[in-house]
Amino acid sequence: MDTESLIKSLLKEAELYQSQGLLDDAKQKYDNAAALIEKNPELENRQDLLDTVSEKIGALGSDIDKVEKASKSPELSAKVQDLIKNLFAFSDEKDKDETELEGAIALAKFGQFDAALAEFNELIKRDSLRVVAAKNILRCHIANASLDDAVAQYGQWLSSDIVFSSQQLESIRIFLQGILDRKRIDKRLPSVVSSTHFEAVVTPSHVEEEISEDEEFLDITLIGIRPKAGRLIELDVNFQRGNTISVLIPGRDKDSINRVEVGLKLDDVECSSAFAVFMASGTVIEKTRIDTGAKRGDYRVEIKIESA
Amino acid sequence: MAILNLKNREIECKIVYYGPGRSGKTTNLEHIFKAFQKHVKGEMVSIDTEGDRTLFFDFLPFGVGKIKGCDVRVQLYTVPGQVQYSSTRKLVLKGVDGLVFVADSLEVRRKKNMISLKDLQQNLKDYGTNIFEVPLVLQFNKRDLAEQGIPLMSTEDMERDLNRQLKAPIFSASAVSGDGVGQTLTECLKLTLQSLQRQFNWAE
Ligand SMILES: Nc1nc2c(ncn2[C@@H]2O[C@H](COP(=O)(O)OP(=O)(O)O)[C@@H](O)[C@H]2O)c(=O)[nH]1
Ligand SMILES: [Mg+2]
Repeated sequence: MDTESLIKSLLKEAELYQSQGLLDDAKQKYDNAAALIEKNPELENRQDLLDTVSEKIGALGSDIDKVEKASKSPELSAKVQDLIKNLFAFSDEKDKDETELEGAIALAKFGQFDAALAEFNELIKRDSLRVVAAKNILRCHIANASLDDAVAQYGQWLSSDIVFSSQQLESIRIFLQGILDRKRIDKRLPSVVSSTHFEAVVTPSHVEEEISEDEEFLDITLIGIRPKAGRLIELDVNFQRGNTISVLIPGRDKDSINRVEVGLKLDDVECSSAFAVFMASGTVIEKTRIDTGAKRGDYRVEIKIESA
Repeated sequence: MAILNLKNREIECKIVYYGPGRSGKTTNLEHIFKAFQKHVKGEMVSIDTEGDRTLFFDFLPFGVGKIKGCDVRVQLYTVPGQVQYSSTRKLVLKGVDGLVFVADSLEVRRKKNMISLKDLQQNLKDYGTNIFEVPLVLQFNKRDLAEQGIPLMSTEDMERDLNRQLKAPIFSASAVSGDGVGQTLTECLKLTLQSLQRQFNWAE
């Protein structure tokens, strides 16, 4: 193909890709065309051609910007929010609690935080969903904008002793404190429980490695398990590969280490992700003692999450 | 996650159109909505954003009619293709009964097709589903562009890229004109209902 036809076909491709919204591919072709024009000083109307192409490249650049800056979670109409709630609740219809919880979580996952909050604030009135709804409310506040709102919300629950048992409040405090700690926010949440030994055992170990700011892209950040029906153990997720998560149990927590064995089935794994808290089941697939480095003596435990 | 109500002879299942961004998933659903009005059971809902990009999903309720005395309804979805929407894409995939993978025939999109298929395999795996076992149909879309002299991959090359191991049924299509859209859906429905038959024996 002679240079002129080559340029022509590059421009034609670029235009088509642009019309299909394949903006990066379009830009690539315009860039190629521009380079080719530059390299061939003998071309007729060379300057005009170059001007046209660079104009196109400029326009494409701003289109690409616009797409990138577009809101990733715009507020949807009430009708669409209802649809989301219905379409993404998978539980058996007879389990009304679970279905409604899933619907509310779906709203949060699709970035509809205000609507999700309204749902969770209803669900929190139910005994069986109180704690999981409360944790999701905190998650919504955090994902939405503000840790302060989450902390204020917790404070409000503390002083309104109507709905929560002290054990429930403690579970919520540990959950929120864990998030604050991971975000390295130096704040101690007041506890309703006076005994401190409870806290000493259950508070997640401080993670030394950097937790990325993009926490939202980590699927599960924290799990709570109750192996062999004992007390709740909350553990930070170190990393996740597909549906397998890896957690660390500090070496000093002998009790937890003993209760977690390879092959153990966990029925109620409470998984906290950036947007939501949900229940899943899981199986312990690996447990290894770390023999070197800063974490020496701790145990790395891998859990396969089954119905997340 | 089909819902079967054998007493009332009702089946509701879920088919998801998957594939890279801009391959023509939404256009498939739009064609179905226009061309099969009689089967469409409600509005098509598109949640899109700047530049018509699918943000969360498209949704179209579809009625197949009576099969073996069962009233079969299908929820058709598309996923957002762009890489950055991976968490919503995965959510839309949850409970899927059948899949259409819409591949883009444009040469420049070759890698994107492969990445998206890999992403599909991984997401299915996370839900405990094997891509080799799920009802799946491949569509090679935008075949019409060959006439305009735009570089397309040959269907043989696309087979080699995408279907060497899968061995899924393939349909060439041009979703803008509707060519191949109906055949793709029909085949996917057939495979999906057969798979539900194996699981639930509903056609007894
Ligand atoms: N020429 C041609 N263009 C198509 C075809 N299918 C889709 N398109 C165009 O490709 C672009 C992206 O299509 P869309 O359905 O939004 O892609 P999605 O991101 O997969 O949902 C639009 O401009 C469509 O008009 C096709 O078969 N032929
Ligand atoms: Mg789309």
